[in-house]
Amino acid sequence: MAKLVMAAATPHNPLLWRAMAEPMPDDLKPIAANFTRFREAFTQHDVDVVVVIGTDHLRQFFYDNSPAFVVGKADAYHGTWENEARTFGMEYVELEGHRELADQIVGRSVQPDAIDFSVSLEWRLDHAFVIPLQYVRPELDLPIVPVHANASMPPVPSVRRFVALGTHLRAAIEAWDSDARVAILTSGHMANDVGGPRTFAGSPDPAFDAAAAGWMRDGDLDGAIQVCSDVDRMTEAGCMTYQYLNAVTALSAMGGRPADFVDVTESRFASSPFFLWGSR
Amino acid sequence: MSKYMVDKFMRAVELSDAAVATYVADPATAVDRWLAGGASAERATDDRELTDEERAAFVARDFEALYRLGAHPYLLWHFTEAIFTHEFTPEAGWRDLVERYREAVAPHGVVDYIP
Repeated sequence: MAKLVMAAATPHNPLLWRAMAEPMPDDLKPIAANFTRFREAFTQHDVDVVVVIGTDHLRQFFYDNSPAFVVGKADAYHGTWENEARTFGMEYVELEGHRELADQIVGRSVQPDAIDFSVSLEWRLDHAFVIPLQYVRPELDLPIVPVHANASMPPVPSVRRFVALGTHLRAAIEAWDSDARVAILTSGHMANDVGGPRTFAGSPDPAFDAAAAGWMRDGDLDGAIQVCSDVDRMTEAGCMTYQYLNAVTALSAMGGRPADFVDVTESRFASSPFFLWGSR
Repeated sequence: MSKYMVDKFMRAVELSDAAVATYVADPATAVDRWLAGGASAERATDDRELTDEERAAFVARDFEALYRLGAHPYLLWHFTEAIFTHEFTPEAGWRDLVERYREAVAPHGVVDYIP
């Protein structure tokens, strides 16, 4: 049977693409070092396929048709949108899909009991998916199953659905008749308010960031559920903060056990999450 | 008020380099051409409409008004960035626009942007 060998939660801040270049600015050296650590973890765990959980930024999915959770079933994906190439200097990429694992997750003819997924066979992946992969696997040589979790267009799924997604992913991977070694890579933020009243002024909510790092450090899934269920608290933490819940999916997939590595990295940008769970 | 249509127009502009260039060259004409496009036999669900206040805000590139009217914050920032970048100078560039934007929207606090 297949194995879920590791999970990693990283930032996807597209402003890093231009800023995090040699000569490396001092404030970004810790972020670069964390991405290096994660890249080494993907190599050391001998990963064959990656489930990438991110939130499309109103590009592929919009209010005309906004699904809660989408599993990509395509054989291949184009990555990066024209506005991202323009605004962030990002590069266009091509990524290989993994149809067999996608079917294992979403069901070929009938959906699993756990989640009512949407599926997509044509999907241009935005920076939420491309940036983490480019940093943890610059070769872009591993096939992926992208999963969009709506965290930016209310109504969003409740935190318990993100937890259920994590639980389901582990079960689906472990029930897959394959020798594959699978990694989960989640993409998101700590407190973040892009476009809101505290935009681009450091973390909009250091208290949230500290608590949210603690849930990962302590394996405190209940703590995450309690606070992330409070819509007023989440709104207070910033308009894009809900993307933190992608990391809660990783925590759930790893059985709620404490992450082996936790760093919430300070820099010129809002705080950057780095959570890593390896094999034991 | 039609927050969905405000978001839809911003997204239509921001996603495309050509649309940004067209809008920046003549916002009023770009808005009106967009409004005149839309639903047809080929695009049955592509409706487009803006209130007079929303149209005026787009014509004036008035990000404060758009924020107050309930534009999605993430889309609004990236739309704003896209349509002002050509005016950046060495003295007043990206960081200056960020400060202008934040000063404009902060007094309104968190606005209900759910369409």
